[in-house]
Amino acid sequence: MLTIKNLTHIYANGVKALDNVSLTVPNGMFGLLGPNGAGKSTLMRTVATLQTPTSGSVTFDDIDVVRQPELLRRVLGYLPQDFGVYPRVSAYDMLDHMAILKGIANGRERKTEVERLLAQTNLWDVRRKALAGFSGGMRQRFGIAQALIGAPRLIIVDEPTAGLDPEERNRFLNLLAEIGENVVVILSTHIVEDVADLCPAMAIIAGGKIVKTGAPETLMRELDGKIWTKTVAASELEALKAKYTVISTRLYAGRTVAHVLADADPGDGFTAHQGGLGDVYFATLHATRRAA
Amino acid sequence: MFAKIAAFELRYQLKNPVFWVAVVAFFLLTFATVTVDNVHIGDTANAHLNGPYAVVETHLIWTLFFMFVSTAFVANVVVRDDETGFGALIKSTRVTKAAYLYGRFTGAFIAGLIAFLAVPSAMLVGSMMPWIDPAKIGPFRPGDYLFAYGMMAVPTLFLLSAGFFALATVTRSMMATYVGVIAFMIIYTIADLVGAKPEYMVPAAYLDPFGLRAFGLATRYFTSADRNSILPALAGPLIYNRLIWTGVGFAFLALAYGLFHFEVRGAKASRKKAVAAPEVEPPALIHVASNATRFGPGAARAQFMARMRMDFGLVFKSPAFVVLLLLGLFNAAGGLFLLNGIYGVALYPVTRQAIEILTGSFTFVPLIVGIYYAGELVWRERDRKTEELIDSTPTPDWTFVIPKVAVIASVFVVMLAISIALAFIVQAIKHFAPDDAWKYVAWYLVPMTVSLTIFTVLAVFVQAVSPHKFIGWGIMVLFIIANVMMSNLGLEHNLYRYGGGPIGPLVPMSDLNGLGVAGQGAWWFRAYWACIALVLAVLAYALWRRGAETRLWPRLRRLPSRLSGKAGLLTLAAVVGAVGCGAFIFYNTNVLNDFRTARGEERFSADYEKTLLPYETVPQPKITKVNLDVDLHPGEGYADTHGLYLFQNKTDKPIPVLHVRFERDAHLRALNVPGAHVTKAYDRFGYYIYTFDTPMAPGETRQLSFDVWRGQKGFRNNRNQTSIVENGTFLNNFEIAPILGMDRNQLLRDRAKRRRLGLPAELRMPKLENVAARQFNMLTKSADWVDSDITVTTDADQTPMAPGYRVSDVARGGRRTDRFVTEAPINAFFSIQSARYAVRRAAYKGVDLAVYYDPGHPWNVDRMIKALKFGLDYDQANFSPYQFRQARILEFPATQGTFAQSFANTIPWSEDIGFLFDVRDPNKIDMVTYVTAHELGHQWWAHQVIPADSQGSTLLVETLAQYTALMNMKAMYGPDQIRKFLHYELDRYLRDRGGESVEEMPLERVENQQYIHYRKGSLVMYRLQDEIGEAAVNRALRKLIADHAFKGAPYPTSLDLIADLRAEAPADKQALITDLFEKITLYDLKTTSAVAKKRPDGRYDLTLTISARKMYADGQGHERDAPLNETLDVGAFDVEPAKPGFTARAVIAFERRQIHSGVQTVTLVVSRAPKFAGVDPYNKLIDRNADDNGIKVE
Repeated sequence: MLTIKNLTHIYANGVKALDNVSLTVPNGMFGLLGPNGAGKSTLMRTVATLQTPTSGSVTFDDIDVVRQPELLRRVLGYLPQDFGVYPRVSAYDMLDHMAILKGIANGRERKTEVERLLAQTNLWDVRRKALAGFSGGMRQRFGIAQALIGAPRLIIVDEPTAGLDPEERNRFLNLLAEIGENVVVILSTHIVEDVADLCPAMAIIAGGKIVKTGAPETLMRELDGKIWTKTVAASELEALKAKYTVISTRLYAGRTVAHVLADADPGDGFTAHQGGLGDVYFATLHATRRAA
Repeated sequence: MFAKIAAFELRYQLKNPVFWVAVVAFFLLTFATVTVDNVHIGDTANAHLNGPYAVVETHLIWTLFFMFVSTAFVANVVVRDDETGFGALIKSTRVTKAAYLYGRFTGAFIAGLIAFLAVPSAMLVGSMMPWIDPAKIGPFRPGDYLFAYGMMAVPTLFLLSAGFFALATVTRSMMATYVGVIAFMIIYTIADLVGAKPEYMVPAAYLDPFGLRAFGLATRYFTSADRNSILPALAGPLIYNRLIWTGVGFAFLALAYGLFHFEVRGAKASRKKAVAAPEVEPPALIHVASNATRFGPGAARAQFMARMRMDFGLVFKSPAFVVLLLLGLFNAAGGLFLLNGIYGVALYPVTRQAIEILTGSFTFVPLIVGIYYAGELVWRERDRKTEELIDSTPTPDWTFVIPKVAVIASVFVVMLAISIALAFIVQAIKHFAPDDAWKYVAWYLVPMTVSLTIFTVLAVFVQAVSPHKFIGWGIMVLFIIANVMMSNLGLEHNLYRYGGGPIGPLVPMSDLNGLGVAGQGAWWFRAYWACIALVLAVLAYALWRRGAETRLWPRLRRLPSRLSGKAGLLTLAAVVGAVGCGAFIFYNTNVLNDFRTARGEERFSADYEKTLLPYETVPQPKITKVNLDVDLHPGEGYADTHGLYLFQNKTDKPIPVLHVRFERDAHLRALNVPGAHVTKAYDRFGYYIYTFDTPMAPGETRQLSFDVWRGQKGFRNNRNQTSIVENGTFLNNFEIAPILGMDRNQLLRDRAKRRRLGLPAELRMPKLENVAARQFNMLTKSADWVDSDITVTTDADQTPMAPGYRVSDVARGGRRTDRFVTEAPINAFFSIQSARYAVRRAAYKGVDLAVYYDPGHPWNVDRMIKALKFGLDYDQANFSPYQFRQARILEFPATQGTFAQSFANTIPWSEDIGFLFDVRDPNKIDMVTYVTAHELGHQWWAHQVIPADSQGSTLLVETLAQYTALMNMKAMYGPDQIRKFLHYELDRYLRDRGGESVEEMPLERVENQQYIHYRKGSLVMYRLQDEIGEAAVNRALRKLIADHAFKGAPYPTSLDLIADLRAEAPADKQALITDLFEKITLYDLKTTSAVAKKRPDGRYDLTLTISARKMYADGQGHERDAPLNETLDVGAFDVEPAKPGFTARAVIAFERRQIHSGVQTVTLVVSRAPKFAGVDPYNKLIDRNADDNGIKVE
C-alpha cells in the first residue's frame, strides 16, 4: 500500500506543482487521471524517487520513500512518460543492462528474466534490433518490459498510451492488466478510457490537488440522472454555455454534442444520458475550474 | 524577405548567451595579450604592442581561435531548427530556400563580425593602460586596425563561417561540425609545420586559409622599425590569398544551398540485407515473474561492470572517438616522420625522441577526449533522456561515477598504446630498431595515463556540478588556458597547479640519465594530485545528479549526509594522503631547495646588477694557476670542490682589494685569502670583498683557497639541476669555483624586462674602440692564460674528464680519481664531466683522438673521428699547428642543453646534437662533420687566438669557427652541400634580424648576437673567400695567429682581423670588405626575363633582364639605397641550382659580370639552350629575396 501525505512540491521557478496532496493507493491498478500540467508527472517522479518533495511524506509499505529512496528503488518498476534510448544498443542488451542495474546479478537468472519479458511484451522477434529504430508502440512495450524486471511491488506507468495507435494501446493495456493484481500499479494518464477499462480505483488530479478519489463505478453512479445531452449547431454553443453547466462538448457529424450537468431535466430538447467515466472527469474538472 | 530573416537572425544571435560569452572571452584574452607581460602575441622586444605588425598578428591569431565561436553561430543556424523540432514549422512556410538559408547565414555571420570587434577594441583599450611600458606603445594608427580587421580578419571569418555552415547543413549535427573544426585545426597545424620549411614558403602563402603564412611571407624580413611603421603591401600572395579564400567561402555557400533540403529525407534503404536471424523460439510465456534481485556488494560489482561496459561502448563505438584518435595519430605521425634537428637534418628516431614527439603532438588528443567524454558520459543519461529509467533503479551512485573515470582512463591506455604502436612503425620505416622500448611504458604510457586520469577526474567533477554540459566543457577549456597563463605569471608551483599541468609535470629526458630526480619528483606530484582527485571523485559521487533534481544547491545541502560513512572515510584518507604528499613535496621543493620562479630569477638578477655592477671597474688581479679537486657524487647529486688559485697583479698599480664571487648555487663552505680579511660581504649574492693587509704590488702573486658545495637535495618544483646528475655530469669552472671581480655575464639583456625591473634599458658590451677592454678576454675577466691541475673523483664505474693530460688514474673503494694537468697555459675555462661512457679511440699523426659516448648512441662516432682527422689536416695546413696531443669529444645529456662547446682539447657535446643526427642519406648535409669541424676550429679560434671582451669578439671566435667548418666541408664534399647550408643561413639571418631586441650591429661590432656571428658570419666569410680566394683569407688568418696566439692582454679585436684581411685583399675588394664587415649591407637582385635566341653558328644568345639594388641598413632596420657596381655571378643551367638533379654538368655558362643599380640587360653566348638562368644563382649575396635571382628561360 502506498500512502502519500501532505505532499507539496514547488519548482525552482515558483510553480507549485503539487499542493498538499494526500492519497492512499491500494494493491491493484490505480488510475491517476488529470489534464496536462495537473501535476501527474511530478507526483509520479516523486514517488519514483526521482525528486525530493518540498514537504510531505510518501511511504510504501514500510519504506519511507523520501528518506530511503534506495530501498524503494529495489521494489520499483517505473515507466517514465518520455524516455530515450542509447544509440546502437539492442533491445536485448538494454534490457539485460537494466536487469543488472535492477539487481539481477546472476547471469542465468537474468537471461531467463530478460527472455521472459521480451516474450511477454511481444518483443522477442525484434530483440536484436537497435532500440533507436523502434516504433512508438514497440518502445513503449520495451518500457513496460524494463519496468517489470525483477517482480516489482510498486509499478508506476506515466502516460503510457500517449501516442499509441488503438491496437498498440489495447495490447499495452492487456499487458498491464495481467500484472496488476497483487502489486500496486499506478497508471497516470489524461485518457479517460485507460482508467475506465482497467482500474478498480482512481483519483483525479487538477491544479496540483487531488480533487476526487474512488472506484470508477461509484463515481459514475453518483452522476446517474445528472447528465443531459443535446446536439446543437456550433453557433448556438455560446448561448448554451451561458445558460447551462456545460461540462464537455464534442463534434459529431459537423454538429456539437454538449453534455450538461443538471440535477433535473433542463428540458429545452435535452435528453438524459447515462454518464460514463468521461463525464465524471469533465464534471470534476469543471467544478474545479469554477472553484478556482 | 532576405533582409528580414537576416535581421531576425542577427537579433536572435545578439540575444544568445554564446554571443556575449564570446565577446567577453575574446575581449579579455586579447586584453591580456596586450597588457600582461609574457603572454604577448607576435612580440619582439623592440616591436610596439600596438604597432601595425602586432595589430595584424593579433587579429590573425584570434581568427584562428574564433573559429570555434563563429562555427557556433553559423552551425546553430541550421542545426537548431532540427534540434528544437521547430524546423518543420518554418520549412512549411512560404519562405524560399535561398532567403531562409542565406538570410540566416548573413545574420549569424554579421553577429560573428560584431563579436570579433572585441579583438580590436581590446587592443585599443589595452594599449592605453597606464602600467604598460610606454616604450612598447606606438602611436594609434586607425589604418592598421582597418587593415587587420577588414583585410585579414573578415575574409578569414567569412571563409570559416561559410565552410562550417556548409558542413553543418550537410551533417545537421553540431557535434559533427565541431569534429570538423577540430579536424581542420589539426590538419592546418600539420600543413603549417610542413609549410614552415623555406622551400614551401610561397605555396604555403597561397594555401594558408588564415593568411598567416601570406602575412608571414610579406613581412618575413621586416625589421623592428618596419614592424612599427609599415603594413605589408596588399599585393602578391597576400592579396591573392585573400581573394582566393573569399572565393572559396562563396563556393561553400553555394554548396550549402545545393546540399540543403527543406524536406526531411527518408532514411536510405540499408544496403545490407537484414541478416535472417536463426529462428529461436521465444520462451514459453511464464507469467510468474522471477524474483532474482539481489542487493549487496556482489550485485553492485555486477552493476559496476555493466556500467563500465556501457560507457566503454559509448566511447569506442562513437565516431568522434575514432576521428579524434586518427587526428592525433596523423599529427604525431607528422612529427615522427619530420623529426629534425638543426638545419633540417634528420635525427635518429630514438625512443626518447619519439616519446617527446608523442608527448608534444599526441597527448593533446587524449586530453580533448578526457574533457569531451567527461561531458558526454556524465550527461549521457540526460542527453539520451534515459535518466528516469536508469536513476530509478536500485543501483548505488558510485557505480555511476567510477565507470566514468575508469572508462576514460582505459581509453587513455588504449590511445597511448596505439600511439606507441605508431611510433614503432615509424621507427621501423626509418630502419631503426629501438632496444629501449621499455621507455615507452615507463616514461610515457604509465605517467601520462595517471596524469591524464587525474585531469579527467577534475573534468568529471566539473561536469557533475555544472548546470550544463557545455558550461562544464567551457570551464575545462578556461582551466587549461588559466594553467598556461599561471606559469607565465610566475605562479609555477605544482602544489597549486592542478595535476602539475594538464598532462602532468613535464620531465626532461635523457638517454644517459633517464628522468633523473625530476622523474621522482613528478611521481610525488602525481601521488599528491591523485589524492586530491580522489577527494573530487568522492565529491562528484556525493553531488551526483540523480533523478529530476538538477540544481546544485539542494545537492550541496545533502552533501554532509552523503559524506557520512565510507565516503567520508575515503575522503579523510585522501585528504590525509594529500597533506602527507604535499608536506613531503613542500619539504623538498621549498625547504631542502629554494623555490624559484622564472620571475624570481629575473628579480634576483636585477638586484645583483643594481648592487654589484658598480664594482665592474675595480682593478683586480688575474688568476695564473688553477688547482681544483672536485669530489663528485653523481648518485647523490652534489660535488665538493676544494680549490686553490694563484693570482697576480698584472696592473701597474697596487691593488688594495680582492672581489671574490660565487655563482648563486655554489655554496661557499670556506674561503681563505691569506693576508686579507673580509671588509664587505653580500651573502645573498655570494660576493665578498677582501681588503689586503698590504696591497698587492704590481707583478706580485698571491693565492686563495676555497671549499664549495654544489648540488641539489631531494627534488625541486621544476628546473631541477642538470649539471650534476647520476650519469652525465657536466659542470664548468664558474659553477664550482669563484670569479674575481664583477662582469656583465649572466645579467639580464631583454629590454622590456630590464625596464620593468627598474634597470637601464640596455646593457651593452664595451665599444670596439674601448682600449681598456682589451685588457680582458671574452671568456673571463678573471684570468689570461692559466696552468691548471684538476683532480676529479667520481664513482668507479664512471669516466671523469677535464681539460689537460691525464697524469694519474686511481680506483679505490668504489671511487675513481683522475688528475688532469696542462703542459702549457690554456684559457681559464674548464669542463668537468663524468658518465658511464663507451670510448672510441684513434691515434692520428701524434694526436690521440677519442669520442666518449653513451653506448646507446654509437652511430656517428666513426664519422666524428674521421671529421677530427680531416679537420686537423685542414686546420694545421692552413692555420697553424694544433697545440695539443689529444682531442676528445664527450657526450652529455640533452637535459643540460642542445649545444656543443669547445674547451681546451675537450669538446662536450649534447646527445641531441651530433650523436643523433641521421646522416645516412648522402644527399643531406653532413652536420656531424660540420659541427665537429666547427668545434675543432675553436681550438684555434678561442684556444689559440682569444679576442678582447668588446664588440666584435665573437667574429673572431664563432664566425671563424663557422668559416673553418665551411672550408672543411667544401674540401670534403665540394661546394654543392655548402650552398644548401648557406641557404638556411641566409633565411635564418634575414628572419632573426627582425627579432632583434636591441640593435643590429655590423659584423665587426657584433655583440654576441647569434644571427650575426653564426648566420651572417657564414655568408660573409663564404662570399669573401669566393671573391678574394680561400688562400688569401687563410694567409690573413695565419697572420692573426702569428700576432696574437697564446698572448695575454692586450687582446686582439675584430679590427685586427679586418686589417689582416685588407692586407691580403686586392684594391678592388676593399669596398667589399667594408660592406661585409663594417656595414649592414643587403642586396635585392632579380632576373625579370631570360630569353634565348639561336645564333647562326648554332649557339644561343641569352639575354637576361636584371634589376639590382643595394642597400645599407642601420641598427633599427631603416634602409637607404647605396650605389651598386660590382662584379657578380651570372649563370645559365639545364637544371635550377639546388634543385634535385642539379650537378656540375648542368652548368652551361657561369661568368662574372659587372652589375649596377637599376634595370639592365646582360647577354651571354651559350653553347646550348638553357632552361634556367639568372644573376647570383648560388645565392652568395645577402639578398632579401633570394628566390627571384633566377628565372626559367623562354
